[in-house]
Amino acid sequence: MILEGSVRLPFRYAAGTTASTFLEALRDEGRLLGSRCPACGTVLCPPRLDCRCGERATELVEVGPAGTLVSWTELPGRGAYGLVRPDGADTAFVHRLLDAPESLRGGMRVHARFAEERSGGIADLAGFEVAS
Amino acid sequence: MSVAVAGVGESGPALDDPRSIPEIVLEAVEEALQEARLGFDSVDAVVTASVDLLDGLTASNIAVTEVVGAVLKPETRIAADGLVAAIHGSCLVRAGAYETVLVVAHGKASLGPYWELTSWALDPIFLQPLGLDFLACAGLQARALAEDDAAAEQRWARIAAERRRAAAAHGVAPACTAEDVLASPAVASPLRRESCAPLADGATAIVLRAAGPAEPGVHLGGVGFDLSPHALGERELTEWDGLRRAWARALAVHGTRPTLDVAEPSCVFAYEEDLFRHALELDPGTEVSPGGGLFAGFVPVAAGLSRLAAVVRALRGPGGLRAGVAHGTWGPAGQGQAVAILEAA
Ligand SMILES: [Zn+2]
Repeated sequence: MILEGSVRLPFRYAAGTTASTFLEALRDEGRLLGSRCPACGTVLCPPRLDCRCGERATELVEVGPAGTLVSWTELPGRGAYGLVRPDGADTAFVHRLLDAPESLRGGMRVHARFAEERSGGIADLAGFEVAS
Repeated sequence: MSVAVAGVGESGPALDDPRSIPEIVLEAVEEALQEARLGFDSVDAVVTASVDLLDGLTASNIAVTEVVGAVLKPETRIAADGLVAAIHGSCLVRAGAYETVLVVAHGKASLGPYWELTSWALDPIFLQPLGLDFLACAGLQARALAEDDAAAEQRWARIAAERRRAAAAHGVAPACTAEDVLASPAVASPLRRESCAPLADGATAIVLRAAGPAEPGVHLGGVGFDLSPHALGERELTEWDGLRRAWARALAVHGTRPTLDVAEPSCVFAYEEDLFRHALELDPGTEVSPGGGLFAGFVPVAAGLSRLAAVVRALRGPGGLRAGVAHGTWGPAGQGQAVAILEAA
């Protein structure tokens, strides 16, 4: 016998002070921020307080909005995702790719497109499109 | 002191097993104890591996406490791949804390939409809102490898077909050809439906016992594990460098570099075999997944422990094999890596 069930649990995720600053700049100014580690110089995007070298990456710097496509994938009915390293950052992050997958190629230049209506959250960045 | 694998038991892999998780687990535990010629009263401690998210309830180990004989006993639960549970169990024995430790892992993919569920194991601020899951993460990793390797997709199709052929007799999916793999629909390009191991239900149990180094049987030797950063963009995506580190630790514990007759990697996707071979600098003479590996059926969480069981069976077989390696992985695109050396004494 199979019994159907489901779990729906609402949560209030605290983004944290560093990510909140990133999300505020994204929402209010349409800018991408990274965190720079004063000890090793690494720029993390999205910004994190904890640098891998053990120091705190406390300095926030603007990165992008252009960047490099590191990798990408397409899922049927779900669109394409890309791993993008914004200019000025040492790390890449995953977001949506807005172009047809046939045109995509690792190493190509892409550009952030910000959502027209922004309400707080990573979706305020609509995704990346191939730089023209 | 050495750690012997005194018994192994498995249930599955099976497609949509109608039994409950405790029933599936019980079958594996009974078989392992029977092989070890031991009863529950001889088990000093239990290490289980399970993941709440995949079982649809919290404290998923509580559901199996009775069937693993952990009532009134020290039980540790690992929320990672089952091979990590075996590693922790071996540490308990090696430390002299317990003589006999039962290690059990289970997974029941038919419980829910597995890949969809993995979305909940991703960062809730930056990744979950995008609808990302482990399948998409694997697609990103595979693409990073294929982009500079025109032959990659053909090679992966041949690997998948070879594993499926080897697994057809005992697995949950029929044999298929490399052409079938390449003709199957993309699920997360460049990954195709048939280049992914089929999901299944099952459980694996092993009994670890303190033993003298020369005591006949299969011994669990060097072990190691490692975690990479969660974010794909903070890793070198074209490598499993976490596995390289885990392997270096296993070799350091082992003391020597054994000649591996057999390797049982936890490869859910054919491309992962490239990463595995590369990380271990595998000798061409090592036979990889002679029974098709996870292409016989990918049981989440139990996968790595089932690979250990497969190596034990190979070393006990008539082939005179001396040493093998079992591998487990968990998290997105191989974030967690575990590896264990097994030797016939
Ligand atoms: Zn630093």
